[in-house]
Amino acid sequence: MHATDAPELTAVHPGARLPPVEIALLVVLVIVVALFFDFTNGFHDTANAMATPIATGAMTPRVAVTVAAVLNLVGAFLSTEVAKTVSGGIIREGDGGVQISPAMIFAGLIGAVVWNMVTWLRGLPSSSSHALFGGLIGAAVVGAGLASVDFGVVLSKVVLPALLAPLTAAVVAYTATRLAYAITRRHGERSERGGFRYGQIFTSSLVSLAHGTNDAQKTMGVITLTLIAGGFLTAGAEPPLWVITVCALAIALGTYTGGWRIIKTLGGGLTEVKPTQGFSAEASTTATILASSHLGFALSTTQVSSGSIIGAGLGRRGAKIQWGTAGKIVVAWFVTLPASAAVGAAAALVASLGAVGLVVDAVAGFAVVGGIFVLSRRRPSEQQSAMEVDLAATSVLSRRRVRRLERRGLLDEPTGGVEAPLLHLDDRPADERPVGTVVPPAPTDDEEPSR
Amino acid sequence: MIDWSAFLLVAVVALVSAGALVSVYSLGLRLLAAEPRTTLATAGARACFGLCAVGVLVGIWLIVPALHG
Repeated sequence: MHATDAPELTAVHPGARLPPVEIALLVVLVIVVALFFDFTNGFHDTANAMATPIATGAMTPRVAVTVAAVLNLVGAFLSTEVAKTVSGGIIREGDGGVQISPAMIFAGLIGAVVWNMVTWLRGLPSSSSHALFGGLIGAAVVGAGLASVDFGVVLSKVVLPALLAPLTAAVVAYTATRLAYAITRRHGERSERGGFRYGQIFTSSLVSLAHGTNDAQKTMGVITLTLIAGGFLTAGAEPPLWVITVCALAIALGTYTGGWRIIKTLGGGLTEVKPTQGFSAEASTTATILASSHLGFALSTTQVSSGSIIGAGLGRRGAKIQWGTAGKIVVAWFVTLPASAAVGAAAALVASLGAVGLVVDAVAGFAVVGGIFVLSRRRPSEQQSAMEVDLAATSVLSRRRVRRLERRGLLDEPTGGVEAPLLHLDDRPADERPVGTVVPPAPTDDEEPSR
Repeated sequence: MIDWSAFLLVAVVALVSAGALVSVYSLGLRLLAAEPRTTLATAGARACFGLCAVGVLVGIWLIVPALHG
C-alpha cells in the first residue's frame, strides 16, 4: 500500500508528486463523479423551469422535460464562459492560497452528489451549486485547514443570498400576479386566463435555456481544471470539445429523467398553481435570474423559482400556501452547505489514504447513491403516470383542447376557456351516469371575491 | 461585504421587467376577450403579444453570450 499522506493534497502541482497510475485513476474518477454531479444537477433543476407549466397543463410532463432537456443541451454549447475557479472565491485558491487538488475536487463532488440525492429523495429543491461549494469547503478544510476557506465570502455569496433570493422573487412574483389578476378581471364576459398557458411555455423555456448556459459550465470548469492539474492539458487551456459534449449530454439526460419528486413539490406541494400564477411566477423567475446574472449580484435559480411560486401563491386571493413545506425547503437551503461539507470532509479524509482511499470513496459513494435510488423505488410517488393523474385534477383546459374533447364526448357541457369542467377520461358521459352522481365543481382560475 | 446597491438594482430591474411583461401579456388577453371584438381590440391584442415576443427575444439575447459579447 502506498504511504501517501495529507500534504500531497495541498501540493502546488499534485501531478508532480503522485505516481502516474494514481493521477490517471484520480482524473478518471473525478470525470466520472463530475458527470454524475452534472446529471443530478439536471434532474434537480428541471423543476425550476417546468414545475409550473406541468402543474397548469401548459405542457404535458413528457413534453416539458423534453423541451427542458433540449434547451439545456443547446444552452451548454452556447456559452463559452467556463468557470475559471472551482469554488468561485469561497476557497482561497491560486497564488498565496491553497491549490485545490484533484483529490479535493473528487471528495467535494462526492459530498455534492450525495446531498443532491438526499434532497431529491425528500423532494426538496436545493441549490446544486451550494452543494458543490459545501463539498469543496469540507474537502478543503480537511486537506488544507480552516484558513483555506474565506468565510466572509461564504456569508456574502451563500448565506445572505439564500435569504434575499426567495424574498426578492416572492415580492416580484406577488406584484406580477396581482397585476395579472387585476388586468384580466372579468366584467361579465368569458374568462381569458387560459391564455396564460401559452405564455408559460415561453417563460419556462427561457429559464431552461439560462440553466443550460450556466450550470453545465460549472462541470466543464471542474473537469478542465482537473485535466490541467493532472498534466493532461496546459494551464489556461479551453475545455476540449469532448468535455463540452459529455457535460452537455449529462445535464440534458438528467433534465430529461425529470426529478418528478421536486416537480411535485414545486408544482403542487407549495400551493395550487393556476395558469395566471404560473405565468407570473415564471416571468418573475426569468426576470430575476437574468437581472442577477447581468447586474452582478448572483442569486440561486432554485431559490428564486421557489420564492416566485410562493409569491404567486400569495398573489391570488383564496390561494393556500403549505407553509410547512415551505419551511422544510428553507431548512434544506441552510443545511445544504454544512451537510455536503460534512460528506466532503469525510470523503477527503478517506481520500488522503491514497489510491485505496480513492477507491473506497468511489465505492461508498456509489453504494449511497444506489441505496437512495432503491429507497426511491419503494415509494414510487415520483412516477410520471401518477403525477399526470394528480395534476389533471388541478389543471384547467385551453379552449382548443376543450373543443377537441367536446367532439369526443369527454366533457360534461360545452363551455370555454378556463371555466372548463373536470375531464372525465375514465368516466361515462353525463347521460349514462347513475342518478344522483355529484359532479365536482369545475376548477377555475378566478380569485375569491375581495372582501 | 455585500453589495447592497447591486442587489437593489437587481431587485428593481426584476420587479419592473417582470411587472411590465406580465401586464402587457394580460392586457393582450383582456383585449382578446373584449365583447364585441372590434378590429381595434384585436389589433391591440396583437401589438401586446408582439411586444411580449420582443421581450422573449431580449431574454434570449441576454442568455446567449455570443450575441452580446
